[in-house]
Amino acid sequence: MREQPLKEVTQLIHAIKVGLVEGSYSITNKTLDIFKYIIMSKSWQNADALMQIVRGQCKILQAALPQETVTSNIARRILKLTREEFDLLHAKVQHFADDSQASLSLHKLVTQTSESNVSVDYSVPQQGLREALLDHLQEVETELETSSENICVQAEEHIHSSEIILTLGHSRSVENFLKRAIKKRQFLTIIVAECAPACRGHNLAASLAAEKNVEIVVIPDAAIFAMMSRVNKVIIGTHSVLANGGLRAACGAYTVALAAKHYSVPVIVLAPMYKLSPLHLCEQDAFNMVGCAEDVIPYDSIPAREAKVYSPMFDYVPPELVTLFISNTGGHAPSYVYRLLTELYHPEDLEI
Amino acid sequence: MPGTQDAVAPEKTREQVMAEREAKKLAKQAKKQNKPQSPATPATPAAPATKIITEVVQTTITTKLTTTTTTKAQEKLDSLAIKTVPPTVANGNDAEAGEKSREQIKADRGAKKAAKKAGKGAGAKVEDTTQRLSDLKESDKAPAKAAPPATENDLEKKKPALSKAERRAIQEAQRAAKTQGQAKKPQPAGKAPPTAAPKEPKRESVSPTKAATSSSPSKCPASTPSGECRVKLFNHLVCAKEDSQFINDPLVHPSIARLGVQYAKRTVVGSNARCIAFLHALRQVVHDFETPAKKEFGRSLDAAVKHHVDHLHKCRPLAVSVSNAYKQFKNQLTQLPADIPETELKELLGHFIDTYIENQIGKAAQAISGFLQEKITDGDVLLTFACSSLIQFICEEAKRRKVAFRVIVVDSRPGCEGQEMLRRLHAYGIPCTYVLINAVGYVMAEATKVLLGAHALLANGYVMARTGTAQVALVANAHNVPVLVCCETHKFSERFQTDAIVYNELSDPNQLVRGDKCQLNNWKAKGKLMPLNLNYDITPPELVSAVVTEVAILPCTSVPVILRIKPDIGY
Repeated sequence: MREQPLKEVTQLIHAIKVGLVEGSYSITNKTLDIFKYIIMSKSWQNADALMQIVRGQCKILQAALPQETVTSNIARRILKLTREEFDLLHAKVQHFADDSQASLSLHKLVTQTSESNVSVDYSVPQQGLREALLDHLQEVETELETSSENICVQAEEHIHSSEIILTLGHSRSVENFLKRAIKKRQFLTIIVAECAPACRGHNLAASLAAEKNVEIVVIPDAAIFAMMSRVNKVIIGTHSVLANGGLRAACGAYTVALAAKHYSVPVIVLAPMYKLSPLHLCEQDAFNMVGCAEDVIPYDSIPAREAKVYSPMFDYVPPELVTLFISNTGGHAPSYVYRLLTELYHPEDLEI
Repeated sequence: MPGTQDAVAPEKTREQVMAEREAKKLAKQAKKQNKPQSPATPATPAAPATKIITEVVQTTITTKLTTTTTTKAQEKLDSLAIKTVPPTVANGNDAEAGEKSREQIKADRGAKKAAKKAGKGAGAKVEDTTQRLSDLKESDKAPAKAAPPATENDLEKKKPALSKAERRAIQEAQRAAKTQGQAKKPQPAGKAPPTAAPKEPKRESVSPTKAATSSSPSKCPASTPSGECRVKLFNHLVCAKEDSQFINDPLVHPSIARLGVQYAKRTVVGSNARCIAFLHALRQVVHDFETPAKKEFGRSLDAAVKHHVDHLHKCRPLAVSVSNAYKQFKNQLTQLPADIPETELKELLGHFIDTYIENQIGKAAQAISGFLQEKITDGDVLLTFACSSLIQFICEEAKRRKVAFRVIVVDSRPGCEGQEMLRRLHAYGIPCTYVLINAVGYVMAEATKVLLGAHALLANGYVMARTGTAQVALVANAHNVPVLVCCETHKFSERFQTDAIVYNELSDPNQLVRGDKCQLNNWKAKGKLMPLNLNYDITPPELVSAVVTEVAILPCTSVPVILRIKPDIGY
């Protein structure tokens, strides 16, 4: 039986498609709101039913917006929360909370294996689950809200004065991060690659230029390699972080990362935790999308009639080109991403 | 330099005055409508003064105002202890007729420079950095605005075909320039400590030989009036000028003047096209050249051509191909037989130019194409960047051979020269794919070979080419796709360079602004926001699999070898 989308979900999908909701943060926020609404609604009686609904809606979102992985990520968070809260409550009821949940001693870890294989029956109605979930959801919301701020405060740890920083396109995390850096450090030079054809780099440059004590240089994408020899650090945002520590980032990020590797410039990627996706994709063909080519070459020009014109939206950046991830919980090496994923999501939810 | 100039200044100025007077006498009859023009304008220290002077030119007020500013400036000069500037120059206003426009250009140019210097100096003392920047901008703008009307005036006057007297005047001046150029040569040895730094720019602009003695083509002038690139890393580079202010130089042959404008406006672009256009113009210059009385043909032509090349260099820094062609031409001049009449010598030179074009560009392209045809086979996907006449030629040749291949044209903003390439290949019926440079990773997997054109090959094996070339090579390397750079040996340069920043060219930064809705609009007003439009980048040899030249397919590092074994492109 196919799941019917909720009214809120269709609205969100529409809003994202027509561009009313933009940016991973707002999409994540809106998705979280939907799931919160689902949890509050009376349509589910036990944890299993809730998880069914969440999975169903998530699948719909995924099918409608394959490029927006954050929706599935947040659904996975909800699923994990549900499992945790259910287990906790279940344990309390069973009166062995002290035994199995409170302490994870080494002995427990070793001997646990056989026990944990026993699947929990989530279909049992559980008292107080809704309230506990809403409580916990509040935490997730605050984490989401403060994620950008938490990334920003790390700016001082990574940027010294008189640095030459290169960035690409326009990422909100990068914008806030750099603004913070400009406030704290003097004589920065920020080189912004414009990221054609949308040229969103122009917006970032204009926004940063409002700050004092900073030099903003806008370069066309072609000049990235030429400028890289003088760059101290590359700081980019990303669309999502893949399970192997690779990036699915704006088109052009691959070149930037390669050029940085060529000149041994560290590449710092700002990625809040909600952008971590348990997807194992290691080539761009697996996820790329092509956008409208009108900006690349006008449709009415003569050669455009015959030529194939591509305007891909994403680039895959392999993990070996990334030096460091900065998330709201701190810095991580690309090789550590898999570990973060296991902490963040339940292994059974990796496939929704 | 300042000290060395001090040493010969008296001689120079005396000579100069003599030359000017001679010229004046002749030109006076031809041109009565000329207004007196103060030659001392360069000494005016700030932008307002420049304005006054250009206004004088335009509104033809009598000398009164000019002389007041002049005397003021003169006083200042005197107080700065420049005894060598002869008062006769300032006083001989009325007789200035023939030299007028030339003097005026010089004056304008000098004044601009002085204004800029003054703005800089004052700003540094009084105001903080940001204010200084805005000051500079303003003082730059003032002369730029004032200049065009004056230029037009001059053009109108100059247009009625060069009269005999005028031509004589020109040659006279050229001779003067040459003698001074020779006088200057031994100087650099005795480099005296710079004692009078502040007055130096003014002196320089008084000298009419500045153009003749300016730096070699491979070096960029440190600063020009309109060079207002504010990116710190690129302060040493000159920004592209919006309008050429050298159009009205009477010493410049019309064909060169036109070429200068074409260079400056980027209507003639590409290494080969620039070289061919230059050689055609040069042939015109040779054809129309008249040896001054009691002068040797070869030497006087050399001086004249040097002046023309300097003019072109001011319009846009010379391409390596052009400076190589010029070096060859100069070399040819020194080898001219002495006992042959002038007309035959001209024919000889014309023939040399024709063979140079044919051999170095035409036949070289065929040879390179010949080498590459063996490499292009059915099913190949060639990836190329921007527009290259040579790559286009190779693709057309392959199409003629009925090879089934396709081409991926990678392009970049703001030039979008790849669209031109796409148009040309499309005209030949070659199937094409077109992407922007940040999508190069997306299409690189399809490519079987990367063919790149080059602006020049440097002696350390680096490839200098349109910005973005290095990036394409980099991505190709990451995908293990062979990178072939196609470059004729006439583009080989003896320069060494390890990054794209020391020597480069900057195009108009406003090209980065897209339409009215672009956030970059009005970027000059938005704090320290600056677009940067680099022209070239440098591809390190490790990213290039091979260079295809007409001699052979070689590794990049063999450039110095070619430079040595091919002495006819030597220097």
